[in-house]
Amino acid sequence: MQYSPALIDHFRNPRNAGRMRDPDGVGEGEHKECMDLVRFHLRVREGRVVEARFQAYGCGPTIAAASAATEVAAGCGLEELLELPAARIEAAVGGLPEARRHAALVAVLGLRAAARDALDRARTRSERHA
Amino acid sequence: MSRQVYLDHNASTPVHPEVVEAMLPYFSERFGNPSSVHGFGREAREGLETARDQVAHFLRVGKEEVVFTSGGTESDNMAVKGVALARRQGHIITTKIEHHAVLRAVQTLEAQGFAATYLDVDGYGMVDPDALRRAIRPDTILISIMHANSEIGTVQPARELGAVAREHGIPFHMDAVQTFGKVPIDLDGFNVDMLSFSGHKIYGPKGVAGLYIRKGTKMVSIQHGGEHERRRRAGTENVAGIVGFGKAVEIRGRDMVEEGRRLTGLRERLWEGLKSRVPEVRLNGHPTERVPGTCNVCFRHVESESIVLGLDLKGIGVSAGSACTSGNVEPSYVLVAMGVPLDWAMGAVRHSLGRSTTAQDIDYVIDCTEPLVAKLRSAMPARA
Repeated sequence: MQYSPALIDHFRNPRNAGRMRDPDGVGEGEHKECMDLVRFHLRVREGRVVEARFQAYGCGPTIAAASAATEVAAGCGLEELLELPAARIEAAVGGLPEARRHAALVAVLGLRAAARDALDRARTRSERHA
Repeated sequence: MSRQVYLDHNASTPVHPEVVEAMLPYFSERFGNPSSVHGFGREAREGLETARDQVAHFLRVGKEEVVFTSGGTESDNMAVKGVALARRQGHIITTKIEHHAVLRAVQTLEAQGFAATYLDVDGYGMVDPDALRRAIRPDTILISIMHANSEIGTVQPARELGAVAREHGIPFHMDAVQTFGKVPIDLDGFNVDMLSFSGHKIYGPKGVAGLYIRKGTKMVSIQHGGEHERRRRAGTENVAGIVGFGKAVEIRGRDMVEEGRRLTGLRERLWEGLKSRVPEVRLNGHPTERVPGTCNVCFRHVESESIVLGLDLKGIGVSAGSACTSGNVEPSYVLVAMGVPLDWAMGAVRHSLGRSTTAQDIDYVIDCTEPLVAKLRSAMPARA
């Protein structure tokens, strides 16, 4: 199977792998059919992601997609992440073979879930202070 | 460029230089059709029959009992379907860990009204001869059990299995594609009636294989259109390929025993190295009753494909034990049949060593695997 140089690079040198102390949002994406799982931790300031970290179990493309997703997420508003299309992640890894398209989907589901969690936490905090 | 280490010899092997040399004249000098009566055909026929002699000599059988085919898959199909269709109905016994060539052939026959039993295997991938005996029915017409599995390398108790088949007068087919030329095969001692074997697993060319058929075995041809191979397999023979195959077999006769010892030592070096340096790794298959060069391991909580990709980027070629197609993962059906838990089976990697493998190669593979697995595990989420 042919992988792009960008994908290979993200697999070999994953960016932002690991956890985060006191994240502002945490979310998971899972592809049950192949058991791939990606978890994102977000640091958010004024409604924008300033840092994202990932953990992943799965095939090479899924790990690469998760790595690329942390770079895509940096600087994005949370509302924007809720609507993030899988195609953005796929483009960030230079494309995916048909048999591995699920890697981008798993990553984007995880990012959307993390963004949703961050918004929920922010809403809860402001309701407490109100 | 990083070092290149090929550890996928169970998938295919490079053609031996002596084999290439033997084949070359049959592409442009001795190119005739071996069925032709003129001199061009006769010289091609001579090459073909010399190869048949080489194979027959290696197996210690009559040359009329050796049929050449296009591959191990064809040999398996020929054996299974040939025997079944000769009897038109009945019951077939095979195992859950056979190569797909046997499994699909048997499933196709089931769809046509034959009955089938797929024997379980134990945690080492071994078939129990008593389980075979219990599975036999009055209408059992064929037993097909592989000599060794290509994924895990476990060698079956062929002598005991063949004895059960012979006790009941049932034809016994053995897929020996992964053992032919690697471990001794005693056709009479194993009571084998048909044996599949392949060229490209033993440093011969792809596209050529063989089927040994014991004299007197009742079967029909499944490929029609000529009188070739004593009316058992129609089609103009792949002469150059067969000549190469014969040469490859001759070389195995010379090298097999010593090479087997060498590969066993290297395989042990690989396993001991992985075991001592990588946490949560297990060996699949029988610890001693195995093909010399096969080492299938599972790395817990890591996905096969990511390991194969990581090693590929280091110039190392191995094979994954699970397959992800279109986002659906399928752990190895062999490991599943052995009862290997899913969180292990998903991380299966097969290393199959060969002629070119050195101790330095093994050490390099271990050196690359340890940090790769550690890195993959460090980025892994703990599952709830």
